[in-house]
Amino acid sequence: MKVEETKGFRVINEWLAANERHPFLFQLQAWQHIVNRESGLVNAPTGCGKTYSVFLGAIIQFINQHPGYYHSKKDSGLQLLWITPLRALAKDIGRAMEEVIAGLGMSWKVGIRNGDTPLAERAKQKRQMPEVLIITPESLHLLLAQKGYAEVFRSLEIIAVDEWHELLGSKRGVQVELAISRIVNSQGKLTNGKPALWGISATIGNLEEAKDVLLSPVRQTGIIIKANIQKKIEVESVIPDEIEKYPWAGHLGIRLAHKLIPIILQSKTTLIFINTRGMSETWYQTLLNVCPDLAGSIALHHGSIDMELRAWIEDNLHTGNLKAVVCTASLDLGVDFRPVETVVQVGSPKGVARFLQRAGRSGHSPDATSKIYFLPTHSLELIEAAALKSAMSENLIESRPPMMLCYDVLLQFLSTLAISDGFSQEETYAEVVSTFCYQHLTKDEWQQILYFVTEGGHAMHQYDDFKKIELEDGLYKIKSRKVAMRHRMHIGTIVSSSMMKVKFITGGYIGVIEEFFISRLDPGDVFTLAGRNLEFLMIKDMTALVKKSGSKKSIIPSWDGGRMPLSANLGKKLRETLDRSATGALKPGENELRSLQPLFELQQLLSHVPKQHELLIEQIETKDGFHLFVYPFEGRLVHEAMAAILAFRISLIRPITFSFAMNDYGFELLSDQPIPVDDTNVYDLFSPADLLNDIQRSVNSTEMAKRKFRDVAVIGGLIFQGMPGEKKKARHLQSSASLLFNVFAEYDKDNLLLRQAYQEVFDQQMEEVRLRDMLERIQHSKIVLTFPERLTPFCFPIKVDSMREDLSSEKLEDRVKKMQQQLEF
Amino acid sequence: MQNPFPHIIYKNTFWVSSERCVWWEEENTLIVSDLHLGKTGHFRKSGIGVPQGIYKADLQRLMAQLYFFKADRLIIVGDLTHSTENRELDHFKKWRKDFSLLHIDLVKGNHDILTDTWYDDTGIDVSAHHLVVKDFCFRHDLKIKHKETLPDGIVYTFVGHVHPGVTVKGKGRQTLRFPCFYFTAEHCILPAFSRFTGTYSVERQKNETVYAIAGNQLMHIL
Repeated sequence: MKVEETKGFRVINEWLAANERHPFLFQLQAWQHIVNRESGLVNAPTGCGKTYSVFLGAIIQFINQHPGYYHSKKDSGLQLLWITPLRALAKDIGRAMEEVIAGLGMSWKVGIRNGDTPLAERAKQKRQMPEVLIITPESLHLLLAQKGYAEVFRSLEIIAVDEWHELLGSKRGVQVELAISRIVNSQGKLTNGKPALWGISATIGNLEEAKDVLLSPVRQTGIIIKANIQKKIEVESVIPDEIEKYPWAGHLGIRLAHKLIPIILQSKTTLIFINTRGMSETWYQTLLNVCPDLAGSIALHHGSIDMELRAWIEDNLHTGNLKAVVCTASLDLGVDFRPVETVVQVGSPKGVARFLQRAGRSGHSPDATSKIYFLPTHSLELIEAAALKSAMSENLIESRPPMMLCYDVLLQFLSTLAISDGFSQEETYAEVVSTFCYQHLTKDEWQQILYFVTEGGHAMHQYDDFKKIELEDGLYKIKSRKVAMRHRMHIGTIVSSSMMKVKFITGGYIGVIEEFFISRLDPGDVFTLAGRNLEFLMIKDMTALVKKSGSKKSIIPSWDGGRMPLSANLGKKLRETLDRSATGALKPGENELRSLQPLFELQQLLSHVPKQHELLIEQIETKDGFHLFVYPFEGRLVHEAMAAILAFRISLIRPITFSFAMNDYGFELLSDQPIPVDDTNVYDLFSPADLLNDIQRSVNSTEMAKRKFRDVAVIGGLIFQGMPGEKKKARHLQSSASLLFNVFAEYDKDNLLLRQAYQEVFDQQMEEVRLRDMLERIQHSKIVLTFPERLTPFCFPIKVDSMREDLSSEKLEDRVKKMQQQLEF
Repeated sequence: MQNPFPHIIYKNTFWVSSERCVWWEEENTLIVSDLHLGKTGHFRKSGIGVPQGIYKADLQRLMAQLYFFKADRLIIVGDLTHSTENRELDHFKKWRKDFSLLHIDLVKGNHDILTDTWYDDTGIDVSAHHLVVKDFCFRHDLKIKHKETLPDGIVYTFVGHVHPGVTVKGKGRQTLRFPCFYFTAEHCILPAFSRFTGTYSVERQKNETVYAIAGNQLMHIL
């Protein structure tokens, strides 16, 4: 049946026409496939009707099913389940849907369910589900933790997963996979493709895989519908007036702050993206110092700032009352702010996708151009700007590899099922392995997981009280109310470090901050949060009490957010871009590279500018010792692991010890004796052979696994964390992750959660696959060894980074200046 | 196990053992703190599958220390048990019967919340606040001041409660934290005997002695 010939389509089309709109081609396609009861993935950028592609499809189908009385049909039960990663988006999407429903004169209701939904509203939903339910993955699992949940999904026609690219590649995505597998199977066998499953995703490198992951539980190939709406993006770099030939990270950005003022003043609203919360505080202060007139019309937005204040900032972004907002990834996602005309990215965005996403936050009408300025924090980052431009022109966007075999999420999920209606072993195993994440879960591992939740692993049976999931009439259930309640409070996979509220002693809430930062402060110390200098007074009731401080000097908190490494795509583009710089084959418009010519000339004079299929290694002797600099351009994580492996391999040639330093472009080994690397052994040192063994012998994976274990243990239900600022209730059940890690490592070393922590280290911390790819690539490249007489422009930022650890920032600045003078004379 | 270190306090010799206890030679008494027996059981009762092996190992270590020093008295300066009664504590009761000649004293700590009957049944003499032997005092928490006044003439006090740990800095920004014995001029804070415990950092001042426990080695921290 052609969708255009259906009643539902005619109704929708008339309504659209009445509002002077027409369906886009991709929407038509989506509707056709929805009417055919197929499943698939819609690939469309934000702000061009992606919501309608699935939502209106559901409406069309409903009208077709009830052509005579679709207006009046009430209480039809849940028709459309809309899963979204962002609470903040729910309200706006709900409002847009309600508008359509009202416009069509239908009796559908739209409900929202997330952490903010009041209890009364939930109870109402339980009595009568709305036709559309907008829900987060966490709340969806909470729904599965309710007795009789299957009833809720009986009438369900379509499951939509919005922003699937955001969920994919995280444990929240795994949560979605598991929930879907349960919902589609909860009515017994899969019948005539019901419910249909639709993902909505922005462009990512592995779109096909994204679709396969989503549809795995319904065992369908499905279809990808592409919107093919190309948004125009204009990138402009802020080029410093004078290029430093010896660049170093961190200080150049601030010196260019004055160049931002005209940009801010000439556009309606500007978002300024900074990579870290700490730096965003500094930038906020600096902009106010450079242009005091901005006071009152500029705001600071990051994850540690009070929710209410953030909501206020977001409201004022909507209304256009703010001229500029300095922000971090906290504003990466979410509803569009129409007044935003310009975006500034300070420092490397680390990946093409992230840069595009941020650029896309400006210029919202369909044919407007998004304008993004790139402001480098050191001059070498200008190469990155050129690389980004060329990656964008080729649409080379990163993949989001899905997470595999997350035992912790599975453990949590099994407990969730066990507190509602219980689960049966055969059925649930079949469902779990139907998901992409657990497709390779063996029977043996499944038994181990069951053993862990029913018996608690190995124990002294006679003297054991273990109690969690019990088998009763073939169903696994949790019967203890206490255990069930605690579990309900901990459903979710986002693990935050323990946070403390910050309040004025006179009252007034400022935000939250990591407990470990506060614990290092003495009363009287001044620190910066939310753009204010605050004097720390005391800790009371798990809250840090402060007062305003007039002090000029303050400590900027270093938040322990992970530092993102450069993506593989961007690394590849960087190598290509350097190639063009080395050969002088610059494209028109690559002003960044042109401005860097003096730096490249010096680099070439002292050493070499590596071409695409070359690996540059510099050996330099200074008064600090013997340096070996290597430039693979693979991101700091890979460099960190590679440095350790290389050091280990060199030490096999001759006993020698090193210290390491690295950035996203390369790494350094430093020793007090000459480093025995030359063209006779260099290919062997970078060989992929025996990599796994060498990793295990060189990298301190135990320490890394210990850090990963925290999240795994929290998700897997071994550690209970309270809410920020709330005293932990179960005092006698407290233990730290590192203590548990040691206990498991010693007494239950085959524990699955422990194994998972190690696996996560290999996959995420060391990016083992990427490391291996890099070594393969190097084997087919030309390794260029140079012996410069002094430090080169390429190695300088790495060298400065290695000094950073021992020096305060003022001393560092002085020393770097001295070094620059000595080198540049 | 490494040989214990002698530590002389007012002409008494206290042998510091890498197994987290001290043997008082003159009184043939083993002094320990913070055993937290039943902790794994308590976790397991709440559905957290901590391996019970660590509880078993703790008891075995205690037994080995009692045999090694041939002690006839055991003083526990608090937190013998972790929480309410459970099967692990039943097991401990049985274990206790095998040492019927051993005299056990417990100075109550904040975790010692069992009934008097339980201590009676288990053959443990309980002191609510402190225990004095010769001129030496045994208490749980140094910071808590009791109304009850301590007798005059006390020269030295042994306490537990804080689970002291010391941070040792190595090359290349590496830091390691070890449980430790912390001796000042007036008191000694004992490490937690149980290995299923965390540590709280202490910083050594001048004229204080800290022995870190690294695996089964003692290190005199200077």
